[in-house]
Amino acid sequence: MSFGYNFKKITVVQPAKEFIDSTLSKTQRKTPTVIHKHLPISRIRGFYLRKVKYTQQNFHDRLEMMLTEFPRLEDIHPFYSDLMGVLYDRDHYKLALGQISTAKHLIDAVARDYARLLKFGDSLYRCKLLKTAALGRMCTIVKRQKANLEYLEEVRQHLSRLPSIDPTARTLLLAGFPNVGKSSLINLLTRADVEVQPYAFTTKSLYIGHMDYKYLKWQVIDTPGILDHELEERNTIEWQSVTALAHLKAAIVYIVDISEQCGTPIETQIALFKKIKPLFANKPVCVMLNKIDITPFEQLTPENQEMINDFLKTEGVKFYKTSNVSKEGIMDMRNAACDELLVQRVEAKLRGRQADNILNRVYVAQPKSRDEVDRPSVIPGNAPQLREEADARPKIRTERDIELELDDEYMLDLRKTWDLKNAEEAADAIPEIWEGKNITDFVDPDIMTKLAALEAEEEERAKSGFYDLGGEMDSDDEEIRDLAKVIRRKRKIRKLEERVDRAPIGRAALPRKNDKQLETNMQDLGLGEHIQRGRGNYKESIHRGRSVARKRMKHNDGDAMEVDGDSGSVTRSKSRNRSQSHVRGPARNQSGVRPEEVGKAEKLRKKAQKNINQDSRRGEADRRFLDKKPKHLFSGKRGNGTTDRR
Amino acid sequence: MPQNEHIEQHIRRHGRRLNYLEKKRKKEGRAAHDRSKKAKKMIGLKAKLYNKERRKEKIEMKKKILMHEKRDTKQKAEETQEGAMPHYLLDRENQQRAKVLSNMVKQKRKEKAGKWDVPLPKVRAQAEAEVFKMMSSGKRKKKAWKRMVTKVCFVPEDFTRKNPKYERFIRPMAMRFKKAHVTHPELKATFCLPIIGVKKNPSSPMFTSLGVITKGTVLEVNISELGLVTQGGKVVWGKYAQVTNNPENDGCINAVLLV
Repeated sequence: MSFGYNFKKITVVQPAKEFIDSTLSKTQRKTPTVIHKHLPISRIRGFYLRKVKYTQQNFHDRLEMMLTEFPRLEDIHPFYSDLMGVLYDRDHYKLALGQISTAKHLIDAVARDYARLLKFGDSLYRCKLLKTAALGRMCTIVKRQKANLEYLEEVRQHLSRLPSIDPTARTLLLAGFPNVGKSSLINLLTRADVEVQPYAFTTKSLYIGHMDYKYLKWQVIDTPGILDHELEERNTIEWQSVTALAHLKAAIVYIVDISEQCGTPIETQIALFKKIKPLFANKPVCVMLNKIDITPFEQLTPENQEMINDFLKTEGVKFYKTSNVSKEGIMDMRNAACDELLVQRVEAKLRGRQADNILNRVYVAQPKSRDEVDRPSVIPGNAPQLREEADARPKIRTERDIELELDDEYMLDLRKTWDLKNAEEAADAIPEIWEGKNITDFVDPDIMTKLAALEAEEEERAKSGFYDLGGEMDSDDEEIRDLAKVIRRKRKIRKLEERVDRAPIGRAALPRKNDKQLETNMQDLGLGEHIQRGRGNYKESIHRGRSVARKRMKHNDGDAMEVDGDSGSVTRSKSRNRSQSHVRGPARNQSGVRPEEVGKAEKLRKKAQKNINQDSRRGEADRRFLDKKPKHLFSGKRGNGTTDRR
Repeated sequence: MPQNEHIEQHIRRHGRRLNYLEKKRKKEGRAAHDRSKKAKKMIGLKAKLYNKERRKEKIEMKKKILMHEKRDTKQKAEETQEGAMPHYLLDRENQQRAKVLSNMVKQKRKEKAGKWDVPLPKVRAQAEAEVFKMMSSGKRKKKAWKRMVTKVCFVPEDFTRKNPKYERFIRPMAMRFKKAHVTHPELKATFCLPIIGVKKNPSSPMFTSLGVITKGTVLEVNISELGLVTQGGKVVWGKYAQVTNNPENDGCINAVLLV
């Protein structure tokens, strides 16, 4: 769309109460909430100042968004501008937006004043009261916009449902009295689904449909009916038609119901045409004498016929006798109207400056004739004969022909085109291929018989009682189970006793000699390897920095490599000692934590960090510059004593 | 693309779902349950706001129910005192003598009391330490004779600052106010009026001269906008008003007109 407007994307306008609630709750959620009176006053001021400014910013942004998103009547196409003026009352709309703008400025002013006052707040109590007053005043300002916000929300909803008419596109505009068949015509011409009812003013607003003609996109606009009275007396519904007629550069189709079934005599319909004629200036107009299926033109009374003929002659407009029911003359009418508009549009384009720009660059060369000899294009003598022969040849039956023939029963069968050695193989079931191998190649030809044999054997076994449990075995089993229970119990008790004995007061919890035991215990817990490396680093083997050895390996290659006898890893170059830093422990946030609890620890760490982050206070991880030149070390004279103080 | 009133159109064409009304009724029936469940589930600030709203609604509802009950059940008529008359028969001229006397006494007392009968007769005194903030000056910040006023002030238009070097009292621009919200006690209406001057700050004459405005301060305000007229027919334009709030806490000055 070149001139398209999108009124559908306007953000929802909240009602005043919700607007206030959501903004205040946002302030509460997004600004720090804890402050103490013993904190430095500058921080208390900052705390409340932030709340005031944040609230103001939110209100400001939301109101600003409304002002930018709602179209300004001066900026949009006059058609839309007038349509909105008719639908929503121009003054009301402008006032509402103006008041929203004022409210925005007032909120800004309030925030500015209170920010200035807050700078002189000398206690938490005073700052808090000032903040409360500031937020309260902002909310009051918004509350006063209640009616405006409601109105704007209604406008938004209606705007979003407005048909998206492109005022500059190729357009057919249907006009006429109520009930003359405008809506049924648009339903015929396009895929639009406009309601058609046998009473006046079924269509209460503009409707749009699209169609193709000459490979071009056309829009057809259905307007509500217009009655024959003065402009001032027209109501909103009629005004919509009038705005469309006045502002859209379209081919106008004026529909006259000659059967008079719509309830208006032909005379009045003609009178209306004459009244709204000024709106048709410079636009192609054609008159549709509709409903000829009910009353053909010839069956009209002679007076009426004469009147219509007179009218058509005086106005000099084209007319078509049509019927929406029998579809007579409709296409002729459409084509003629479209052509006329096309011609006019092309002419208008040629008249424009842009056309000149292009035409200046275009040069059509016309070769000069060198002599008087006429040289028409040559048609070979046998051409007509060849064409005849081609027509006489039997036509190839294409797949498409078959499809048309069979209709629903048609199935696309590509196999019949396959070029195989044996043509009948085309219908065979395709072998299944898996991992590049044909499964059938691996199938034992007598697998089924083997399976049957196996099953029979199994049955035999089951029958002979192979799988039955012996009755005598039960008592033996029970005995063993009881014994196991006793053993388990005893073991548990011993474990507890041991724990009590080993009260770790004044001596190491784990003496060295117990290392083996610890190892086994840990292995049971899935921590075996770590314990071998040393205590404490549970995580060590699972996740450690990239090993130094590998890095080295990449570095020196081929002959330079020397293989260490016992470990098998790559050694450093002989000339260099290994640097101290090569032992990389586990990441700091993972050391000393059980592997399954790493996630939890991370969560706790983040939680601890949250308040600091939110207050944007300095945290331990922040980069900081310590005092590089501490005053006590650089001022005054230096005595004979130490150098760390003067 | 659906256009205009497409939803209504669809309903007109195809009707509603067969169980639409039933579902609607049920939903409405369950609404109270759903809301109570929601009220129980909510936590934090949202819950506080929601329950506050709910409480108000419930009170309203209970009152309404009570009113309906009163209407439906027979109420005991209030016992009338002996000699009571309907108020339209009350004789206005028949005032009791004692009442007249007491009124006269009251009137006299009022006259004697003088002009300064103000709506806020007693206010907390403001200490100097509270009103002024010490500012240190000098190269090494050791001088401490400067003061900054931390309360709201009125500074007349024609005031010119002294040389900052010699300025003893600083009245910051942020704390200067030019207008006050003045309530007319009889009209019960509030107007935003320009201040002419500070008549008296009860805490200290120095505050008065500095134009410090605290609770209980008497201001002179320009009431020419109200169009009040004296008995002689002249337009009154200056009148006194007493401050009723703590302007430094509220960011605005509220006052009552002394009439």
